[in-house]
Amino acid sequence: MDPIWWVLIIVVILVVFFLLIYWGFYNKIIRMENRIDNSWAQIDVQLKRRADLIPNLMETVKGYMKHEREVLENVTKARSALMSAKTPQENIDADNMLTGALKSLFAVAENYPDLKANQNFLNLQDELTNTENKIAYSRQHFNDSVLAFNNTIETFPGLWFAKRMGRKAREMLQIPEASKELPKVKF
Amino acid sequence: MGHMEKKLLVEDHIRRNKRLTIVVCTLMALLFVGVVFSLGFIFFRGNHLISLIFALPIAIGYVVITYSVSVQTVIAAAKARPANPRIREEKLLIYKVEEMAIAAGLPMPKVYVQESDSINAFATGKKPEEGIICVTSGALRKLKQDELEGVVAHEMSHIKNYDILLATISIAVVGAIALISEIVFWSILWGGAGRGGGRKGEGNAIALVLAIVFIILAPIFSRLVYLAISRKREYLADSSGAYLTRNPEGLAKALERINNDSIREKPEGSKTVAPLYISNPFRRESKGSIWATHPPIDERIRRLRSM
Repeated sequence: MDPIWWVLIIVVILVVFFLLIYWGFYNKIIRMENRIDNSWAQIDVQLKRRADLIPNLMETVKGYMKHEREVLENVTKARSALMSAKTPQENIDADNMLTGALKSLFAVAENYPDLKANQNFLNLQDELTNTENKIAYSRQHFNDSVLAFNNTIETFPGLWFAKRMGRKAREMLQIPEASKELPKVKF
Repeated sequence: MGHMEKKLLVEDHIRRNKRLTIVVCTLMALLFVGVVFSLGFIFFRGNHLISLIFALPIAIGYVVITYSVSVQTVIAAAKARPANPRIREEKLLIYKVEEMAIAAGLPMPKVYVQESDSINAFATGKKPEEGIICVTSGALRKLKQDELEGVVAHEMSHIKNYDILLATISIAVVGAIALISEIVFWSILWGGAGRGGGRKGEGNAIALVLAIVFIILAPIFSRLVYLAISRKREYLADSSGAYLTRNPEGLAKALERINNDSIREKPEGSKTVAPLYISNPFRRESKGSIWATHPPIDERIRRLRSM
């Protein structure tokens, strides 16, 4: 066979090989982006759920904690900050505020035996702890997803394909040290 | 150890785990083909086509049926029931499973409870979308919340790493090989098979003996391969579970509690469920034995604490 044919065959094989790799990376990068978006949506769902639980909680504790106005006000304030938050970081900050406010509310609740015996209060406490943990874990999953994405598009050969697709590294959520420690409600 | 190192460690493990899955599937497939070919030698004088026609439907039928009813079989053997959100302990279990599903980025598995005073748990299902996590009532009573979290994270990792699928398939294939082996064994005992092969001369007689030996040993090999992989996967589920909670101490304490638990009672249906449990209910197995479904618990605790 003419050497020119050999060259042609090799070129075709190389092009096909390249296209396959590009295909693989394209799908991988899109999948990873979807995972990031999806895990952000999950955080949002949990934040809303938490905000929805607060009015219920306030209604329950109001009758018992008449002299703890400041504690209750802090919770309400944090909740409205959460409701009006727009950017992810605002969301996170408001949520941290709410976490702190709830922590002191539950600490104060220790002084009210009647409240602690209230079934409704106990259920709300469990559920709030649950959403609290879910928020923490969905943030963790968000950051894991971002890290995996960034690792893929910042190392070779993903770096090269990501540039062609116009993708840039995403930012992780900054989680303050204090909020990593989940408020452990005593069981 | 720092955070990044831990991450690399787990991902290394997962990569190795995937390689091992391929190795184990290949080994199982080779054993399976070997068994079918030996069957051809023993019954049909080396006519592999006939033996294929004879053995494949039985074997594949067995694998398919075992595979498709596996989840119901396990749940029924364990006498497990869906967790009841009206009971606080079980509600908190459901919450923990929800949290770990979010941490792992998996759909919410079904949550079951098995009545038993011992501390144990298992995961089953064919794919993450149909995952099931079952915890004994003893575990709910005796474990603290962070320990329960460690246990749930371990089971969630089994689901995430597709261990539940591999276990289901392995159990089915091991069973199929054992079934064929048993059929051959009894046919030879009854004296019907094998006479034809001898007429073709000495070479064939040796091959025939080899085929019979192989077919008798195959179930033992397949079981050993499966058990070896099962032990590796326990370590992996421990480390990736710790990665989910970022708290290896939770699971370490839970394992310690299992180890020191005074209740020696075996949960219902233990034999069927044993390889799936977080710790083997049969304690008589000597440490580090090749017949063990799980690695020694002390070693698991040591590895968790060194993370």
